[in-house]
Amino acid sequence: MAHDVEVLSGRARFVRALLSGYAVLIYVFLFAPIFLLVLFSFNANRYGTFPITGWTFKWYRAALSDYQVHDAVSTTIKVALQVTLISMVVGTAAAFPLVRSRLPGREGIRIILILPIMIPGLLIGVSLLVLFTSTFHWTLSPETAVIGQAVYTTPFVILLVAARLQGFDAALERAAADLGANSFQRLRRVVLPLIFPAILAGGLFAFTLSLDEFIITFFLIGGHNTLPIYIYTQIKFGITPEVNAVATMLLAGSLLLLALAFVLPQLFRKARRAGARLRAAS
Amino acid sequence: MSAQADTAAARRSGRRRGARIGSGLASYAGFVPAIVLLGLCFLVPLGIIVCYSFWETIDYEVVHHWTFSNYTYFFSVSAYVSTMWATLWVAVVATARYVPQRLRVPLLVLVIVPFWTSYLLRVYSWLTILGDQGVLNRFLQWAGITNHPLGVFLYDRPAVILVLVYLYFPFGALTLYSSIDRFDWNQLRAAMDLGASPAQAIFRILVPQIKPGIITAIIFVFIPILGEYLTPQIVGGTGGVMIGNLIVNFFQEAEYTRGAAVSLLIAGFIVVLLLIFRKSLSAKEAYGA
Repeated sequence: MAHDVEVLSGRARFVRALLSGYAVLIYVFLFAPIFLLVLFSFNANRYGTFPITGWTFKWYRAALSDYQVHDAVSTTIKVALQVTLISMVVGTAAAFPLVRSRLPGREGIRIILILPIMIPGLLIGVSLLVLFTSTFHWTLSPETAVIGQAVYTTPFVILLVAARLQGFDAALERAAADLGANSFQRLRRVVLPLIFPAILAGGLFAFTLSLDEFIITFFLIGGHNTLPIYIYTQIKFGITPEVNAVATMLLAGSLLLLALAFVLPQLFRKARRAGARLRAAS
Repeated sequence: MSAQADTAAARRSGRRRGARIGSGLASYAGFVPAIVLLGLCFLVPLGIIVCYSFWETIDYEVVHHWTFSNYTYFFSVSAYVSTMWATLWVAVVATARYVPQRLRVPLLVLVIVPFWTSYLLRVYSWLTILGDQGVLNRFLQWAGITNHPLGVFLYDRPAVILVLVYLYFPFGALTLYSSIDRFDWNQLRAAMDLGASPAQAIFRILVPQIKPGIITAIIFVFIPILGEYLTPQIVGGTGGVMIGNLIVNFFQEAEYTRGAAVSLLIAGFIVVLLLIFRKSLSAKEAYGA
């Protein structure tokens, strides 16, 4: 849209300046809170606010030596890994019939599969709580939280993998069939490698979502803490710089994973192409 | 759009005819894990909630006795009903706040990034701004406007709305962006060449064309806000309570059936919302086709 800049009246230019100013304000609005949070985690002031009385890592040291934080971190990672595994397997398996089969109720199934994204997590948490505690009489544990989170993350994997399957050139699979590959070989050698970037991205997606998930976990994890639950219980006692430090680390973790989710599939594709070129050359 | 859809469909059916190799029973099998997970752990519990909302809790035990009392109870306590209206109102205001705002989002990635930072942290970060020791109070005290921290910024409905706008802005902006991005801006200039005022051009040319985007944005923002628990819990205080908080309170007090009834009210609102906009949503497809 850069091409429509040249023929502007003075008034239009004014409007444009106004819009740009507005955009800057929006970005300040979006980033200031997070920025302050990170800033205060390095501030020596023990009230976690202005003025800045010096730069320090001591809040990070304090947070990292806190056994509750250790506990929360290990539970968070364990839960996230299980959620990732479940949603990758279940999501990928469901994406195939969703795109390929001609089930009569396919559209209905699609809506049901996507529904957990649409309805508030609160309802998922509440209804699973009732199912687990009153119907099954289970004790709440990190595993029950895993199930709840997987309900929420699996649809994202389904969507990502289904999109990839949809854009997939069927001729490749037919060619493999013509060359004598059986259906397992086609899946293993042709289809899976091609959709692997999407599965990987879906997995990282699920992992990131799981790291940050609050409300479903809050209902289902019982006496245990994940990092968000830990932060929540700490906030109740007021803001401390230690919490800011924990928060900053969680933030850095999820941003790193997000970056990976974008970069890894591309790297993977590049590596594959480079490998193919090498093989072709030799 | 339509041509793309057609060729995609043709390609798909072609593929199906050509390579029906993977179909048949094997392809049905893929649904099984998803049906086990989402059916057993999503649809079944929802069904239980529906039943619960019509049963009774007596002495912390759920009794299978059909009744509307959970609903009548909810509507009989004025505090609950006013919370319900407040939730709707908060949702409407928070949704309305940003919808007309973004006409162009130049640095799209920057909008997505906060969306991917932890939801809890984004709520929490506002405490460092609005709280007693927060940046805002610090600034006012430093500037000499007040000599003691003001409590007015937190623990009431405006704080809830502010934080909700902040939380759901990326949702709305992204949905709108995708539809505005397709808009041909020359049409606006053409309209103005033909004598339309800028406002006329925007409302009669731009808005009708991006209407599906606006509606999707409304749905994507309104629904999660209806189920919002954390924001009113952290920044809302007693003045900012929303339905989500009521539900959690009921469940924590083991009033399962009442909690279930309130949960279903949220679900009811969502269904109503989707029904209201169904026409517009299918119009979107008509427009695309």
